[in-house]
Order: sequence, then structure tokens, then C-alpha cells
Amino acid sequence: MTAEAVGAPLPPRGWLGRLAAHLRGGNLPLLSLVILAVVIVAAVGGEAIAPHDPNGLDLAASFKPPFWEAKGALEYPLGTDNLGRDILSRIIAGARISLVVALYAIVFAGGIGGLVGMISGYFGGVVDAVIMRLVDIQMSIPALALALVMAAVLGADVDTVIVVIVVTYWTWYARIVRSEILSLRQRDYVALARVAGCSTAVIFFRHLLPNIMNTLLVLATLQVGQVIIFEASLSFLGLGVQSPDVSWGVMLADARQYITNAWWAITMPGIAIMLTCLASNMVGDWLRDTFDPRRRQV
Amino acid sequence: MAATEASPPQPLLRIDNLRTHLFLKRGVVHAVDGVNLHVDAGETLGLVGESGSGKSMTSLSILRLLPKHSGRIVEGQVWLDGTDLTTLSEEEMARDWRGRRVSMVSQDPMTSLNPVFSVGDQVGAPFRYHRLARGARAVREAAVKVLRRVRIPSPETRLDDYPHQFSGGMRQRVVAAMAIACAPKLLIADEPTSNLDVTIQVQMIELFRELQRDSNLGMILITHDLGVAASICRRVAVMYAGRIVEVGDVRTIYRAPAHPYTQALLASIPHLGQKRRRLQAIAGQPPSLIDPPVGCRFAARCPRRSARCATEYPPEIELASGHKVACWHPGPAS
Amino acid sequence: MFEIRDLTKHFRIGGTPLGGGHIVRAVDGVSFCVAEGETFALVGESGCGKTTIAKMVLMLERPTGGSILFEGQDLATMSGAQRKQYRRQVQTVFQDPYASLNPRLRVRTIIAEPIRAHSRPGAAALRRRVEQVLDVVGLPASAADLFPHEFSGGQRQRIAIARALALEPRCIVLDEPISALDVSIRAQILNLLADIQERFRLTYLIIAHDLALVEHFSTRVGVMYLGNMAETGPTEQVFSQPQHPYTQALLASVPRPDPDHKAPLDAIRGEIGSAVAPPPGCKFHPRCPRAFARCSAEVPAWRTLAADRAAACHLLETAA
Repeated sequence: MTAEAVGAPLPPRGWLGRLAAHLRGGNLPLLSLVILAVVIVAAVGGEAIAPHDPNGLDLAASFKPPFWEAKGALEYPLGTDNLGRDILSRIIAGARISLVVALYAIVFAGGIGGLVGMISGYFGGVVDAVIMRLVDIQMSIPALALALVMAAVLGADVDTVIVVIVVTYWTWYARIVRSEILSLRQRDYVALARVAGCSTAVIFFRHLLPNIMNTLLVLATLQVGQVIIFEASLSFLGLGVQSPDVSWGVMLADARQYITNAWWAITMPGIAIMLTCLASNMVGDWLRDTFDPRRRQV
Repeated sequence: MAATEASPPQPLLRIDNLRTHLFLKRGVVHAVDGVNLHVDAGETLGLVGESGSGKSMTSLSILRLLPKHSGRIVEGQVWLDGTDLTTLSEEEMARDWRGRRVSMVSQDPMTSLNPVFSVGDQVGAPFRYHRLARGARAVREAAVKVLRRVRIPSPETRLDDYPHQFSGGMRQRVVAAMAIACAPKLLIADEPTSNLDVTIQVQMIELFRELQRDSNLGMILITHDLGVAASICRRVAVMYAGRIVEVGDVRTIYRAPAHPYTQALLASIPHLGQKRRRLQAIAGQPPSLIDPPVGCRFAARCPRRSARCATEYPPEIELASGHKVACWHPGPAS
Repeated sequence: MFEIRDLTKHFRIGGTPLGGGHIVRAVDGVSFCVAEGETFALVGESGCGKTTIAKMVLMLERPTGGSILFEGQDLATMSGAQRKQYRRQVQTVFQDPYASLNPRLRVRTIIAEPIRAHSRPGAAALRRRVEQVLDVVGLPASAADLFPHEFSGGQRQRIAIARALALEPRCIVLDEPISALDVSIRAQILNLLADIQERFRLTYLIIAHDLALVEHFSTRVGVMYLGNMAETGPTEQVFSQPQHPYTQALLASVPRPDPDHKAPLDAIRGEIGSAVAPPPGCKFHPRCPRAFARCSAEVPAWRTLAADRAAACHLLETAA
């Protein structure tokens, strides 16, 4: 029996090694990473790095346009809102809440939804039928109605927002993960693992979970934008973040009335949301590609 | 000894020195690397070889259906009925040739047929597109006629059925119907029976024979199955690594092949009725076509290789009328 | 080693968990035996049920009726521990080398999986065993650190074989092991399988549709049609003197690499029947060139014709 030459050099060991190889490889979505880094810095720094107090009222300085416009000044680089609060400072302060809400919500919704989806998809039969009916029921409840009820029961603040988002969004993860599992379950190598004698747990963790992680990751990054906007709607209705807390959603809600007077008050936080979403999508795509062994250039 | 030699009739298809390359990110794949062949009207040429040998790429080159951004015919001519297909524009190709004068049947009927359109719709499409039938009723009649030709029972009632309502063999017949709808001169069949069961396969092969007889159709049968090739082809060309290594009439190729690859291929498959103790395996793997080896491409795996084989590509020599081999050491197996 | 008695498997398609839909009679009362050390081939066209039988033997599906006995013990009555023991002894290689290996795992992990499912060997012992089986299938030890996509189809199938050998099984179920491979690679893998069988004294149950392969490779054969067994016996005898019309038609229809061989067209007609609504009586009768009145009314009984030859056909009864 001839031993066949398998001549490729060994790939670097472990995910850390692979990450390092990619950084060297230069396939990075640099701009997106920079944007995300800026947002994270803003979230962490908060008021400490903001040029003004985000809640500092100064009616005399209200409706100042961004610095590049005629009446603007560098003191208020992105302008001020109707109460004279500096938009830039509010954006920086708002980053924290928006990110925190998005993070918690996605982690919990993804975790719960993913787990439910896996159970439903793998075991099938009655379990699947029951869970899917629950999902259907949940999805038919309008999110805002749910938010109203929750706010009434739990009071309107950041935690409520997170709970509402988790309760609303877990169904998406559940459905998508379930359909992934349904198709993965048919794969030959899963059947072969059963023939080899592997327990269900081992099959879950070794074969199903890693392949699900991809999908979950991409879905999570796509959800960042949706979650932030959802939080904005809730805050707009007064069900979410309350003053003196600042979030981008609150900024959108507040500025809605003044679009004609002060376009910057709504546009600036809108741009912040858009850039964050875009950046997280690109990074999500890149992460997915990085960790797919098949795309590796060996 | 004739006083005036009548020139032999022109072949229906003649391919001269065809080179098709695939320009991929990882390199340039020399998928078809200097192929010469011809097909006469009314005969079937078998194009035999393993995957990666270039046989499908050759057929796609004839039809000009190469992958849009990566495939390109870099050299050579494809003469069909007096016209060089490589010089035509895409529009001319689609309007006058593809589906009309030359068409194709491929391996998987389920992907050749669109599951959301009825069979009548799809079989009627070539007539509509090439304007061979005008008006819904004429198209329907034409479709029924061609379905009858491929022996689909009660075609009038089945026109409105969808592909999934047909069995595998029937679907392949529908695909064949679409291919012969406009009475092409050349039919390319790329692994038409590989997905079919054996008892259905034999019916399909007979159908092809019939179609060929009735309309003097020239056919290229691409397959890796030597048995199928033997049952329908008049001549066989063996491809390896982008080139034709041997071509000749079917009896010669199967009874007295001269190229070591052909011999190795025949020796490596089990023959029903001739049980042997051990199959002769061909060691190694086909070479990469991104950087094809200099010299004979089969040399690395050839039991007869010599120093010359690795450095110089053997020219094609004609051993007997119509039997050509590209080998430095052709001849019967030892 | 194996005794399959009257094995039946019905699937329900369509409908809900509560009822409704159609019943597919994938396997409809099949009986045969596999002796230790031999190669038994299950042959037939699509829909005959051979893959379903393989799945039941591997305990990936549960029979609806009948039984599979392994060394005298019914699989259905095995306890958890016995089932684990069974899995050690019966392994498999599937058809598609591209789908059999998890693309995210290294070859080392893939081959070690069956071992780790049954015991907890140390890292060094595991490494040694992996390298050992890789050597048996003709791959270098360095292959263990690579990923499946870095190998060709033939090499992947070798990895799949290595994994099947990891537990030192006594029987390997081969489901179309070479039909997805290139023609010039097939012989390599077949020879490898033959060598391994001799070396480790394995029993093979091979599922195939290629009759030439079956003739070359197997010692006994079972020909199936639409869920029923048409005929069984030693391969040489069945192929040289087929008793059942379906076997005869199958053998006649196989294309040979022989230009002068013409497949007779009257050997068989029509399409393969439906498994949901099979023809009454003998399922083969609509296509049989020698069917007569009784064939559409009565299912032929499974009869032993001679030592180790059996078939189900009305024609054989009248001859007896």
C-alpha cells in the first residue's frame, strides 16, 4: 500500500494562532474594527470623555448647528438639541446604554433561543411540535403590546427594555437554529458518530454546536441594529430608558419633533446607529469566515 | 487507387487545438489543453475520462457555456457545420446555435428541469425561443409531438404535470425532449445515465440510439462509465488531464487499446462475467492542472514510463486508420 | 453472525405526529443470513430498501417488524451496555467521502471519536492508535493533523475506513463505498478493503448497485426489489444461473465494456414501481416478461431452492 504524499504545511495550532495568522494575512475589515473600537471606547469612557455634561441644560445654547455650518462652533461640534445639550456628548454617553442593551439582549436571546432551537431540532417529534407552537404563539404577540404590559409590571427602565427584547427576539434564534439543526442532523458524519457509539451530549458539543455558532454569530451581528432601533421605539413610547439616562434611541425620540429646526439632532444619533450596525455586520462576516476551516488558505 | 480522390465528407463537428483555461484565484487551470477531435453526422463519439480530465469543459466550450468570469477559450476553433463557434457573439450563439443546432443533456434531470414550471412549459420553451412554433396551441402541439418521440406515455395529459410528478427515467426523457425539440444536428450528452437505475439506463441508451437513427444526429457521449460508452459509441476518445490520449473506433479501444492509461482503466474496473482475483489499481492521482507537468501527464502513474516521457510530451501518432495515440511507448499491455 | 428474519420497515410520509399520510413499505419482510468472515452483498435499484436495511443493522433506524439477530441476540432486546458492545463490533463506511467527515474537525479527532466513545485512553495511546490505523489505510501519520478539505475523495474514503477500523470491529457495513469516487481511484480502495478484510478477518455487508463490483467482491448476494428479497445465494451461482426474472433482467441490463454485447430490450419493461402503492401480488409482475395470472393476485412465498439458494417467484414453484 503506497503512502500518499499529503504535502501541505501544518496550519498554526489553535484559534489564537489562526487569529494571529489572519492579522498577518491582512484580510481585516479595518474600518469596521476601528468604528467598533471607537464605539466601545465611548461606551466605556462615557461622561468621563465627553466634552460637556450630557445632561447639562443651557437653553441659551439650544439649537446650535454642527461646527461646519454658519452658526455653529467647535465648542459644540455636532450641535445642540432643544435643551442646549451637546449632541456629541450625548452620543458618547448614549453609546454605553445602547451597547449594553444590545449585548445583554443578544446574548440572552441568542442563548435561550439557540438552546431551545437545538432541543427542538434535535429531538423532533412531540417536543419539536410543542416548542414550535410556543414559538408561534410568542411571535403572534405584538412586541409593543408586550412592552406596555412589562413596563406596567416591572416599571419603565433599562432592565425592562432588555427583558422585552429578549422575550421578543429569542424566537428568531430558535427558528433559525432549529432549521440548521434539522439539516445538520441528516449529515452523514452525525449518523456516523451515532454508529460509533457517541452519546447525544457528545454529538451536540462536538458536531452540532460548532456549526451552529457560525449562524448564531452572524445572526447576532445582524441583530445589533434591530435591537438598537427597537430600544429606540420603546424609549420613544416612554417605556424604556428614562432621563437622566441617555441612549441613542432616546435621542432619536426626543429629536423627532424638531427635525425641521434642527436636522442634526436626529441625524447625528441616526448616523451613529447606522455606522455601528454596519461595522458589526462586517465584523460578523469576517469572524464567520475566519473560523471556517474550509476557507483557510493552506 | 482511384484516379480522382473524392474528398471525404466534412465532419459535422471538428475541434482544432482547443484550449480552455479557468482563471481562478488560486491559479490558472488548464482544463482543456490542446484537444482535437471530430464527430460525423449520425455517429456517436464517446468522450471517456475521470473527473477533472476536461471532458465536461470540452462540451461547455463547444456550447460556449463556460463560467462567465473565469472560463475562457484561449485558443482553437470549434467548427460546427462550417461555422467556427468560437468567433460568434453570445447573442448569435444563443439565438441560432444553442438549443437549435447543438444542444445538451446533462446528468441530473432534477436540476435540468425547473421544479416550478410545468413540463409542457419547459418543453415548449425551445420552440418559443427559437420561433419554430407560433402561438400557444402550436407550441403545445409541438411539445406533445416531441414528448411522444421520447416515448412518454400519454403526453397530452402529462403536459401540465410538474417535474416532481415524473420518475427519474421519465424526467431524463423530458430533458432529452427539450434537447431535440429544435432538431439539432449535434447532441452532447454529459453523463446522461449516471443517475439512473440500471434497468432504466438500458431503456435510455436505446432511446438515444433511436433518436440518432431517426434524424442522423451526431452525438458526443461524455461518461466515466466504460460500459455505457461501449454500448452506444462508434468511436471513443480517452481524455486525461486536459488532453486526448487515445482515440479510435470502439472495438479497437476496448479490445486492443494502445495507451497505458486506457489499458489501466480497463484493467481497474470489474467486468461482469470475468471475475479476477485482484483489480489492477492505478497508483497515485491525476496531476494538478494549474501547473501541468511538462512531458506526458500520465508518466507519474505509468508502468511503462521512461526518461523521455517525463520531459517531452509525446506527439499523436496514427497506429491504424482512425486509431491515434499520444504515447512514447504505445502497444498492447505486457 | 447475522440472522435477519422477516425484517420490515414502514415509514410514514406526510401527515402529522397524530396520524394521516401515506405508508412507504421500504422493507417488507426480508430474511437472509450473513456468516462470519464472508462478504454479503445487498443489491438492487433505487427504492429496493437495501440502504434501509443497512441503517437498521447499524441501529440508526428501528424495525417496524421482524428481527435482526447478532450472534443469536435480537438487537431490539439489547440493553444499553449490550448495545454499546454491539457498536464496538459493527462499524460502517458511507458512500459520500465529502459528507462523512466533519469539516471542522481534524482527522485525528475524527478517527479518535469512536475510541473515545467507548473508553478513556491516554493521549499517547490514542495518538499511537490513530497513527496505526492511518498506516493500515496507506496514509502518513502527518495526515492526522490536517483537515478533511485538504484531502482528495479517495483519501477521505481512506480516512473513513480508518475510523471504521479504530475500534477493531468484527463487521463493517459498506454502503456504496466506491460509487462516489473517481474510476481510477476505485480499484485502489477496493483492493485496500480486500486486504483489510483478509488481514483482520472481517465480515463485510456491502450495499451496492454495481453488479460487476458485486460479482468481483462478494461471496454471497441478496437481490432486492421494492422492499422484498427476490433471490439469495452464493454470488457465483446467482450470477451464472439466476432464478428470479428480476435478477435475470438486471444481469442482462448491465452495460459491459464490450462493444459487441447488446443488452436485450425485452428483458424488462416499464418503470420501477412505487413504494407507497406497490403493485398487488408479486411487486415485480408489471415489469416481468414472464408474468402470468397468479403473479398479480398472490405474493410469491420465500422458498428454499437448494442448499443456500432461495427465491420468491411463482415460476419456480411450478418447476419444482
